[in-house]
Amino acid sequence: MNTERSRVMSRKDHTSMKIRTVKLLVKEGASNVVKNKLMTFASITTIVITLFFLGIILLLAVNITSNIEVMKRDLKITVFLNIDVSPFQREEVITFIDGRKEAGIVSEYVYISKEQMFEDMKQILSNDALMKGLTPENMAESFEIKLTDPVYSEEFIQQLSALSGINKDNGIGYGKEELDKLEAILKVFNYIVMAVLAVLMVVSVFLISNTIRLTVFARRRQIEIMKYVGALDSFIRWPFIVEGLLIGFIGAVLSFLITSQAYSWLQHVLNIVLTNFSLAPLNVLEFGPVALRIFVIYAIFGVIIGGIGSFLSVRKHLNV
Amino acid sequence: MIKFVDATKVYSNGVVGLRNVTVKIDKGEFVFIIGPSGSGKSTFLKLIMHEEVPTEGEVYVNGYSVHDMPQSEVPYLRRSLGVVFQDFRLLPNKTAYDNVAFAMQIVEATNREIRRQVPLALGLVGLSKKAKAYPNQLSGGEQQRVVLARALVNNPAVLIADEPTGNLDPKTSWEIMNLLEEINQRGTTVIVATHEKSIVDAMKKRVITLEHGEIKSDEQKGSYFNED
Repeated sequence: MNTERSRVMSRKDHTSMKIRTVKLLVKEGASNVVKNKLMTFASITTIVITLFFLGIILLLAVNITSNIEVMKRDLKITVFLNIDVSPFQREEVITFIDGRKEAGIVSEYVYISKEQMFEDMKQILSNDALMKGLTPENMAESFEIKLTDPVYSEEFIQQLSALSGINKDNGIGYGKEELDKLEAILKVFNYIVMAVLAVLMVVSVFLISNTIRLTVFARRRQIEIMKYVGALDSFIRWPFIVEGLLIGFIGAVLSFLITSQAYSWLQHVLNIVLTNFSLAPLNVLEFGPVALRIFVIYAIFGVIIGGIGSFLSVRKHLNV
Repeated sequence: MIKFVDATKVYSNGVVGLRNVTVKIDKGEFVFIIGPSGSGKSTFLKLIMHEEVPTEGEVYVNGYSVHDMPQSEVPYLRRSLGVVFQDFRLLPNKTAYDNVAFAMQIVEATNREIRRQVPLALGLVGLSKKAKAYPNQLSGGEQQRVVLARALVNNPAVLIADEPTGNLDPKTSWEIMNLLEEINQRGTTVIVATHEKSIVDAMKKRVITLEHGEIKSDEQKGSYFNED
């Protein structure tokens, strides 16, 4: 009895898999991908579609965020001087703005003189009766100021208002509140995106595991035979998992190619639309800079979905 | 060695597979398990393979306690057994050679061992020439020979055959039986569950007769009882 047992009990050797076995199992899994064309096709299609949606949502989020950033950076603070401003008061304002510029808070500013304002008005009102009686002397000088970062706006506006040459009655024009509201909406949008992604993940894991379960079911005979010959669970499971991982990765690559094509086309079209409606500097981002990030996300998601999918589907059939 | 001690198997639906079976099969024996359908033959073999576990009593196989062993040990128990089925159970997408080699890959044999052992096993069952054939290109008898080669290639202590000739014509059945006897003469314990009266009667081996899950008789050089 002891000799019988010792021959089959070289169990210690088997606790860790040998490299040759790992190779064999990977090969087995890879060849399953090729052999089970229909199921491979179905699974890959599922992953491609899932990841495509994921990518579109991600790209949408990235674009909205970046455009809000652009809009914020492009915000101009328009500030008018009193019509009867004294040269000293004007100098005070200019000195203040210059100082802020040196401090890196103001990125650029334009001074609009009374004469220039008058010309601009003439352009807008085009010799209308309204222009009668208007002279450059009636006009207010103004500054258009761009900040390096909108976070400085409140403090900056406050300090600016304290200067005596500034016309406080008209208020200081700035669209930050609107943007803040937009940002708040964006935050909610991000949560929704995350929820949608989670649902997409679960749905695709379910779809993949179902598809792979079909092959596992078709191969339950094979699994049974393997079990009778004394295969370890890991030996049976790994080819299926390798299959799932490969399918996930192939799906990710395909989906990435489709996404990049679709996105580039969309970007081209949308940018034409934005330009025609003179909504520049709003623009749809290039795919290039985000390509790597998108690909990595696709690859990770694809591999996880495929791996979990096959792990779940093979687990059930292992208890023979 | 295989030992049943007062082993009882009641299935979850209440059907009694085996009732208080106590029996011992020594190393190197050739044993027929006979009895009508539903007599417990299959249950007997399933308990040996740990496909089922006894609800009461003890079953020892090659040093493993089948009635009380962790699931993780089951593959090692099975490696000490060679199993032959009535319906062959070959992997259809692998050649005869690969089917046999597969059993060795599972136990992580080296490629050198595989290249040496597989042709030997196929030679033993007389199938060297069909090594590259797929199961669907082989006759029933040839497929059963491949199964035998697969069962033997890892040198199991015990060979279990469940109706190995059930799907074969009489001539082929005898060829398989002769092979089993040859394998037994090389020192492997052979346990055959069968309905083939003529074979059992002619071979004059130990015969365990089951009926209603109990051992009705256990005779050396036994023969098939008339069921009527």
